Amino acid sequence: MLAGAAVLTALVLALLTMAYLRPHRLAGVTAGQWIVGGGLILPIPILMLLTGTALVLGEQLLPRGEVAYRAEARAEQWAWRFSYPDVPGLPVSETLHIPAGEPVDIAVTSADVIHAFWVPRLGGKIDAIPGHRNVIRLQADEPGIYRGICAEFCGPGHETMQFRVEAHDLETFKSMMAGAAP
Amino acid sequence: MRQGDKIALISLVAGFTVWSVGFVALYGLQALGCAYGWPTHRAVLILAYGILVAVLAVPAFWPLRSDGEASATLSVAALWANRAALGAGVLVFLPVTFTSTCV
Amino acid sequence: MTEPAVVSPVRLHKELDAIWRTPPGWGRLSSVNHTVLGKRFMVLALTFFAIGGLLSMLIRAQLATPESGFLEPALYNQIFTMHGVVMMFLFAIPMFEGFAIYMLPKMLGARDMAFPRLTAYGFWCYLFGGMILIAALLFGAAPNGGWFMYTPLSSRPYSPGINADVWLLGITFVEISAVTAAIEILVSILKLRAPGMSLTRMPIIAWYMLVTSGMMVLGFPPLILGSILLELERAFNLPFFDPTRGGDPLLWQHLFWLFGHPEVYIIFLPAAGALSTIIPVFAQRPILGYRAIIAAIVALGFLSFGLWVHHMFMVGIPHMALAFFSAASALVAIPTAVQIFAWIGTLASGRPRWDIPMLYVIGFFVVFVIGGMTGVMLAMVPFNTQAHDSYFVVAHLHYVLVGGFVFPMLAALYHWLPHITGRQSVYRLSVPAFWLIFIGFNMTFFLMHLTGLMGMPRRISSYPSNWGWDWLNLLSSVGGFVLTIGFAMVLADILMQLRFGERFGRDPWKAQTLEWATATPPPSYAFASIPHIESRADQIDPAALGSRLAGGEGYLGFARANRQETLAVDMVTGAVEHVVVLPRRTLLPLWTALATGAFFLCLLFRLYALAPLALLGTLGLFLLWPGSLGETADQGPLPIGRGQSAPLDAEASNNVTVLASRTALVTNATLYSSLLFGGLFLLVVAPNWSSAPETAVSWAMLLAGVGAAAVGGVAALVGDRNNSGGRAPGPALWMTVAAQIAAMVLLGATAFLLADPTQHARIAIVFAVLAYCALHAGIGAVLSGATLFRLARGHVSQNRGTAPRIVALWNGFAAATAVAGAALIAVLDTAGAVA
Ligand code: HEM
Ligand SMILES: [Cu+2]
Ligand SMILES: [Cu+2]
Repeated sequence: MLAGAAVLTALVLALLTMAYLRPHRLAGVTAGQWIVGGGLILPIPILMLLTGTALVLGEQLLPRGEVAYRAEARAEQWAWRFSYPDVPGLPVSETLHIPAGEPVDIAVTSADVIHAFWVPRLGGKIDAIPGHRNVIRLQADEPGIYRGICAEFCGPGHETMQFRVEAHDLETFKSMMAGAAP
Repeated sequence: MRQGDKIALISLVAGFTVWSVGFVALYGLQALGCAYGWPTHRAVLILAYGILVAVLAVPAFWPLRSDGEASATLSVAALWANRAALGAGVLVFLPVTFTSTCV
Repeated sequence: MTEPAVVSPVRLHKELDAIWRTPPGWGRLSSVNHTVLGKRFMVLALTFFAIGGLLSMLIRAQLATPESGFLEPALYNQIFTMHGVVMMFLFAIPMFEGFAIYMLPKMLGARDMAFPRLTAYGFWCYLFGGMILIAALLFGAAPNGGWFMYTPLSSRPYSPGINADVWLLGITFVEISAVTAAIEILVSILKLRAPGMSLTRMPIIAWYMLVTSGMMVLGFPPLILGSILLELERAFNLPFFDPTRGGDPLLWQHLFWLFGHPEVYIIFLPAAGALSTIIPVFAQRPILGYRAIIAAIVALGFLSFGLWVHHMFMVGIPHMALAFFSAASALVAIPTAVQIFAWIGTLASGRPRWDIPMLYVIGFFVVFVIGGMTGVMLAMVPFNTQAHDSYFVVAHLHYVLVGGFVFPMLAALYHWLPHITGRQSVYRLSVPAFWLIFIGFNMTFFLMHLTGLMGMPRRISSYPSNWGWDWLNLLSSVGGFVLTIGFAMVLADILMQLRFGERFGRDPWKAQTLEWATATPPPSYAFASIPHIESRADQIDPAALGSRLAGGEGYLGFARANRQETLAVDMVTGAVEHVVVLPRRTLLPLWTALATGAFFLCLLFRLYALAPLALLGTLGLFLLWPGSLGETADQGPLPIGRGQSAPLDAEASNNVTVLASRTALVTNATLYSSLLFGGLFLLVVAPNWSSAPETAVSWAMLLAGVGAAAVGGVAALVGDRNNSGGRAPGPALWMTVAAQIAAMVLLGATAFLLADPTQHARIAIVFAVLAYCALHAGIGAVLSGATLFRLARGHVSQNRGTAPRIVALWNGFAAATAVAGAALIAVLDTAGAVA
């Protein structure tokens, strides 16, 4: 997408330069050709292809059906609280634990104002809106620690509203959920 | 204002007005279907899509009519705008056929 | 009446100037002249641009280094919010308004805008509203919730201070000027053109402004409604946006972006119109694809209303709905591409030459095309989930806004400043200033794409140094300062031109549009006589035409009866219709704006007991506006020069006042539809709607009120019909007064007797709808009464039927809103909650 955008930008600017430096080369192009060619024939196929691809990709990312692992993220000014509906006994913490290599559905809610759940390296974000419950499906391919931030402005503590996501290998994760500390 | 001029002026915005109404209708149907859990949700949407495209096709293929210089130029611009509206209608609402309705 | 005698050009100038002139000294405050007010608008907008720029420098200073302690978060939040607010509401939109007000009459061959006093009123509202915002900034009480002010952060529990009220009330105050300007621009383009200038002979920029003003008429009401509802929630605890009491914060987002996205195109289109005017001048050939451009901007105008949810991709809306908005957002690139290629084609097929304006045009192409590319990327949902609310968006929005508005406006500045000053550019500073701006801009903002992709969210006042954003941010800040030096040099350049620029004769650029046919700097009356247009109005020879017009060869080349006269034409064909008599200078707009300001200040400082007084004062002052305007006897057709004659506007049925009233009602209807939409939206979507207690609507009283409003509406229509049919309109108008007073009382009482509206959004919406309908009935009664007064004074006759026509329009509308309101209330009251 970036490369395509760069090529298109270069094309437009090259035509513009030509108009000044080599006007005779373009003198034969008629009004209709400029408008139909540049305004319709050039962009329409590109945009259709791009939008189509994006929509198909978007469909695949949707949290449809059930997955094995679920978590709850509750935002408040200015902290995140994570819990696990399948393991009600686990204390609510400020770190989200997930299994690596497995899709996880995270239900995001808010106790006060609008926040947004964002883990840049895991991709995607979703707003935490009071009264609403939004689900995002994430997957960490490798075990490790991922940094998360609040992406929607939520008042004077907004930039401090960071959190950690710890992705564990499946075994460790399961034993953690069974109650043992990692 | 003479009748022909009025028609030319109205037809300039006719297609896109229909497009806007259709947009609101489809977005509304999508939301209502999810809220009330319609079993035939997608069928309703596709039907509405079909109707919308059919209505949009009317001004897009309306024969050019004009009396006087101003309405002649206007009706050419109007024809193009209405074809653009038809194209926009076909493309923008095409997702009713395949995207997920309520997730 | 015979035609006034022909006089010498100098004498003609003196006579006209005596009528149109704005006196010096304190008299300046009474000016209603479009040249004067256009300049005031633009100077004030540039002042706000400087303020906004200063704020952006503070932002960049803060972000230059990690963990910066220069500004604390609470202050930083005010600063970035005010930067956005000032740039969008106090710079971009008013700059366009000023440009249009100054330029349009001169490009279309009219002597002024259609409603000079409204121009002045808009200017004062803009000035006072802007002052409220800036004063708040100085007192440290400025808005701090971001320029889109999402609830619940901006609701009372999370923003207890005055800050959010400053935004809601200050912006609404300023938006009065946007709405009045939009209506005025629309009407002026459609009616006040030189005879012979059919719609399709207008210079293309007029088409841009026509579409823009149409978009403003429909685009601003959702914002104004949203602001009113949020202020009601903050002030009186009506829970429209509170999810615990049946409201929903997403309603605010829909209302805001329903305005906010068209807003971006409202900013871009006039700038594109300027480009479409400047490029042909330097390509030395007419614009290519005139009709295709008309179709493209009509398409753009509509499509831009179908994009708003792309600002809300992350709020949890189903994928199908996102797909509509994503596709529409991608599609909007096509009419834009049509214009870009029309411009390139114009240059390629002309004989392009260089000058300073072209430098900025090229700058526009580079910056705006990049902004367009990132825009299409952001329209793609999967990419958006990553880039949304990150610095990538900050980069994109500045590429589009600065590329699409600031660069074209700088081109326009260099192009048209000679028209304002009567002097030519000095050049020495112009070229280095351009390069500083161009390089500084790209350095500042290109790098933000990268910081955004690296995960830097927007609206943070500090960041730790170990995340790898340090260097990019530092370079961005350096670029920002380079950019500012560039702007400072442009300012110096302007001052140099004012001081040392050389004077010139007509039309220094060899442009072919009508504004260069005025003398430069332009006289108060713009044209000593009004031309007859026989070709496309972007292909005339202004220098030759100008001297003939100055000699009085066109229409109205005389001073008559101490009146400010200009011509109105048929909307489409441009055939002469009537003579418009414009109101002369007066302090009324200033007083009215002061009263309006007092009203807003009462609300801001919670002096709710005084607010109704200020509102009544405002209304009372408005009722003085018609005053002695208009005639007390029919005049018949008057000579207008060139051997033709035309009636006065008071005796024309389709005059600018009627057209403006219709347009205003469209605006009003959009506002009301937004309210009805809000009710339905909450019914379907709001999380706690089902917990609603009884509304306790008294249906008998409500239906009686609707019935009374309907009687009032019908009576007003009958009154108008009677008047134009030669029968006395008085009895029907009295009937309207009585019926609408009854309607106001009944609807108001229904609202008053409702269950406590602070309990739940369902009751609050019903309350708001009833209050709206009662208010409209009341205003209908007042208008009808005022018309009875004008009738008694002899201002109304069978031919002079404007006042009864407006009464009919308003009361018919009020009746329709009452019926629609009752229907909505029935739905909300009976339909069970969803799920
Ligand atoms: C003069 C050079 C400018 C600079 C250096 C600049 C810089 C910035 C920066 C750094 C931000 C991000 C603040 C943050 O997220 O914390 C920002 C936000 C913004 N800027 Fe600018 N800006 C400039 C001109 C403009 C212009 C001309 C406009 C509009 C016509 C504009 C409109 C905005 C808006 C709407 C925001 C968003 C504010 C918000 O998040 O609420 N800026 N600007
Ligand atoms: Cu937050
Ligand atoms: Cu936040």
